[in-house]
Amino acid sequence: MRLFGKLAIASAIAVAGAAIALPASAEDSVKLPNLSYRTGPFAATGIPLMNGQRDYMLMLNERDGGINGVKLGYEECETGYNTEKGVECYEKMKAEGAIVTQPWSTGITLQVLPKSNVDKIPILAPGYGFSAMQDGKTFQWAFNPPASYWDGASMILNSIADGNLDNLKGKKVAFLHLDHPFGKEPIPLLEALAAKHGFTLLPIPVGLKEMQNQSAQWLQIRRERPDFVVMWGWGAMNAGAITEAVKTKYPMNQFVGIWWSGLDGDLKLVGDAGKGYRSLSWSLPNSESKIMKDIKQLVVEPGHSLINRDAGEFEWVFYQRGVMISLMLAEGVKTAQDHFDAKVINAEQLRWGLENLKLDDARLKELGADGMLPPFSTSCSNHTGHSGAWMLEWDGTKFVQASDLLQADRAAIDPIAEKAAKEYADANQPWPVNGECK
Amino acid sequence: MELLNVLFIKPFADMFAAPDFLLQVLWEGLVSGVLYALIALGFVLIYKSSRIFNFAQGIMVVFAALTLVGLHEAGVPALLAVPLTLLVMFGLAVAIERVVLRPLVNQPDIILFMATIGITLFLVGFGELIFGGENKVMITEQLFIPTGSFELEPFGGFLLIEQKDLTAVIGAVVLVGLLLLFLNKSKMGRAIRALGDDHQAALSVGISLSTIWVLVWFIAGIIALATGIVWGARAGVSFALEVIAYKALPVLMLGGLESVLGAILGGLAIGILEKLFEIYWGQPLLGGNTETWFAFVFALIVLLFRPQGLFGERIIERV
Amino acid sequence: MLYRTAGQFKTSYHADHALFPVRQDAWLLGVILVCAFVVIPAVASEFAINALLIPVLIYALAALGLNILTGYAGQLSLGTGAFMGVGAYACYKIITIFPDLNLVVAIALSGFFSAAVGVAFGLPSLRIKGFYLAIATLAAQFFLVWLFEKWSWLYNYNASGAIQVANVDMFGITVAGPNAAPVTQYYFVLGVVAVVTWFAINITRGRIGRVWKSVRDMDIAAELVGIDLMKAKLSAFAVSSYIVGIAGALFVFLWRGAAEPNLFDIPLSFRVLFIAIIGGLGSIMGNYLGAILIVALPVMLGTLPGAFGLTIASATVEHLNVMIIGALIIFFLIVEPHGLARLWAIIREKLIMWPFPH
Repeated sequence: MRLFGKLAIASAIAVAGAAIALPASAEDSVKLPNLSYRTGPFAATGIPLMNGQRDYMLMLNERDGGINGVKLGYEECETGYNTEKGVECYEKMKAEGAIVTQPWSTGITLQVLPKSNVDKIPILAPGYGFSAMQDGKTFQWAFNPPASYWDGASMILNSIADGNLDNLKGKKVAFLHLDHPFGKEPIPLLEALAAKHGFTLLPIPVGLKEMQNQSAQWLQIRRERPDFVVMWGWGAMNAGAITEAVKTKYPMNQFVGIWWSGLDGDLKLVGDAGKGYRSLSWSLPNSESKIMKDIKQLVVEPGHSLINRDAGEFEWVFYQRGVMISLMLAEGVKTAQDHFDAKVINAEQLRWGLENLKLDDARLKELGADGMLPPFSTSCSNHTGHSGAWMLEWDGTKFVQASDLLQADRAAIDPIAEKAAKEYADANQPWPVNGECK
Repeated sequence: MELLNVLFIKPFADMFAAPDFLLQVLWEGLVSGVLYALIALGFVLIYKSSRIFNFAQGIMVVFAALTLVGLHEAGVPALLAVPLTLLVMFGLAVAIERVVLRPLVNQPDIILFMATIGITLFLVGFGELIFGGENKVMITEQLFIPTGSFELEPFGGFLLIEQKDLTAVIGAVVLVGLLLLFLNKSKMGRAIRALGDDHQAALSVGISLSTIWVLVWFIAGIIALATGIVWGARAGVSFALEVIAYKALPVLMLGGLESVLGAILGGLAIGILEKLFEIYWGQPLLGGNTETWFAFVFALIVLLFRPQGLFGERIIERV
Repeated sequence: MLYRTAGQFKTSYHADHALFPVRQDAWLLGVILVCAFVVIPAVASEFAINALLIPVLIYALAALGLNILTGYAGQLSLGTGAFMGVGAYACYKIITIFPDLNLVVAIALSGFFSAAVGVAFGLPSLRIKGFYLAIATLAAQFFLVWLFEKWSWLYNYNASGAIQVANVDMFGITVAGPNAAPVTQYYFVLGVVAVVTWFAINITRGRIGRVWKSVRDMDIAAELVGIDLMKAKLSAFAVSSYIVGIAGALFVFLWRGAAEPNLFDIPLSFRVLFIAIIGGLGSIMGNYLGAILIVALPVMLGTLPGAFGLTIASATVEHLNVMIIGALIIFFLIVEPHGLARLWAIIREKLIMWPFPH
């Protein structure tokens, strides 16, 4: 019977798991879950972002008792960047009354996006997801403030071409990207721009299994001798690419990454050798700002934070960007509360809030985050806000601001985005389009 | 005609046009090949002595490297951290033998194979729980591994050889040499080989199964640590390293599951060939990233002609 | 008591070989079917249907396909995930080319594509055996996933390289896509799975099934008694890949709604293999038991700490979850290497004897 004894234990666990009811949420709080990825091959990039998001919410609860007296129910559901876990987390959080979805992975975003019309829960994907989500008429429930990937691609090209893309004529731009929906996202825009301005685009994919061993990709770069390398990397790929770039002695000042390729931890691997590497960013770290001081005092010092203080994570671009992401969400909650004169808002009201974000200089200053985020506002037709971004440069120990606020080439992006949004809606008939929005 | 040209003429013309670049490709291939060979060696040792197809070798590499870095972060000096890591790997070997292998003696191969996947999952969760998921820097300098590089100019071109890669190659050669010496000359080593030849006969002459299994898993642990140091020095230490375990599988197919020599030669061959194929055929013709499958398809083709791999034991079947 | 077989006499060989030689087995199956078709949809929440029931059924179906190859015909395959991908992409292309086609027909057709690919990659099995074959199937796994990534025709030149399921209507009811009701999808999957299982039970009990088993037990001996090895092995690859392909089409169309190529990568293959082995090789029922353990248990484990009022960080729960799954796999292999199906068989034997064990 020994065997059956063990079995009984195993099945008892299973039954106990099945029998439990999902806990009800407290009266005056709003549930703001985050589909986090602190495990898996992308964890390195995820952890500081998640920590930042979490700490800002904790700080608001600690300092102000939430927003207008409503506690912010920040909760993580671990996906490990795995789309299957993503579905599970989405369903779980939906059942528990979530009023927002922060899907993180582009794959999960693609799965959740069509459901958002049916389930009526807004998706907040700051700086990631589907670039065409900027079209709020088509993607009523999806938000990707303050800038989309296509914005990013356009800004990077503008920056390396010194403001005029025609300067790139006859040059070769290598596009080193993760072979994954995330990495492929900017290719349509880059191809269009390459055709228009006469530069050669050389897409170099990095497979998920090759992230740490990119010698073949960098041999190709050495053979092709591109004038610039633009990187769309995430997780372990960034560290791999930067080490290889140092090894092949590729000039760092011709190597530029998107905002997710600017993790301090990755650059620390190469230290001084990475000097000159640039990464676009729509957030600027400023540890002396009021909100960061509050977080330090109320969350980090008492030991509520999960950050790695020895590594100096508090100062990292990614940590403080996580804070900015939560700031945008919290602002959406507050906007909705004010407009509907309600305390505990629902998902539909939050959608209105996110659609009417107004983070101008004055408001950012009021929040104590002036200069950390470029000012932007959203509207029913513009779910991105197109704030623009700065270029950051690695100085050997940290990232420093290396440009004024850059802006994307709207004339080039908007028609493509509109077309992509229309194609998406057509492919997913019947797809509701917000006709009231002008 | 055009097709023949791009398939068979242009790649070779490219090779001759830039011989320094070709040498660089070969060198990169060789270095990856050495690493594949090391991982495959871990597989072969365990397979030889216990007929277990040890899928956990990949995660053991990660686990060993993380332990080493983790110990160093905790303030242990690097040169002390290495023996301590070896101690941990020894503990792991004992634990695996006691908890997993002993109750599964005499089970079909596939069950043992599954069990090693179970070990893999357990170690993934355990490792992330303890060390966290962040990318860590291998303590290269503290271990006195040189980090500079030699720049040569063959054929008036440019060839870059990193000192740590060179160290890796030399280290691997030394390790393999010691291992062969151990297997062929020492009593324990001969016992391992005896066990591989015939379990029952080995048992009947007094060779202890459990001792040998612990020993073999420990040696696999040592190899894992060596691999982890070398690979970690190249690209940092994180759980994404685990996927390199898959690269060892075609090496095993090619070299034969039981052959130490096969693992080494197979590893080198696959490392070099996949790099050549990727650079001269894959990238221009197929859109790149062929390294994910080239080794498998190549090994599959070889297997069609030699079903037991190049150096594997001939399969004799009787009814 | 419950399983008393006294009084159930067999008067012919035919009766002795019936599907349910013991009457209680038939009743038990009836109860399970009533539960699956009537009770569960009536009481289950949306979360339970989407995160537990549908995936369990689909994974069980995929494992069933693999089990025919590995459990019945003895050919170890690690390429299941890629074959699921072939089914999914084939179904996607069929639906885009013929938008008015009935989804059931499209799914049934897509199975033929995966069967064809399966046979092609099954050809080496005629020469290669054991682990060598297992690694050879990895060639299919990695090559196909690479192909899904590179061949943009497969995903209609979508910029992100992913496929997305549009709303698909069948007889005026939306069965797939974002507008489909979870219960509808559940019934659809359940229907397909039930039909395929019925087919699988019969094929494995019949002549072909016995041919496969003889090949599994010793292929040279089978060849000597006049079995055509090529036919036997390739038919196993074809039937297995067909079922796996259907499972893949269901996986994307009725459950996930969108798929990127690396969804079909090696972890999926391993997951299906776990289910087949933990459930029991060479058993149909085992696939369901295995799927419940491997797919549903982690979901439930994830909700445990919350239920007990513990606040453990979500990432820690995930780490523990992975550890527990790994440990459980080892635990079940040690307790019963022949899988949960065998465990049930033992329990049933004891129940028949009970309360007089001797």
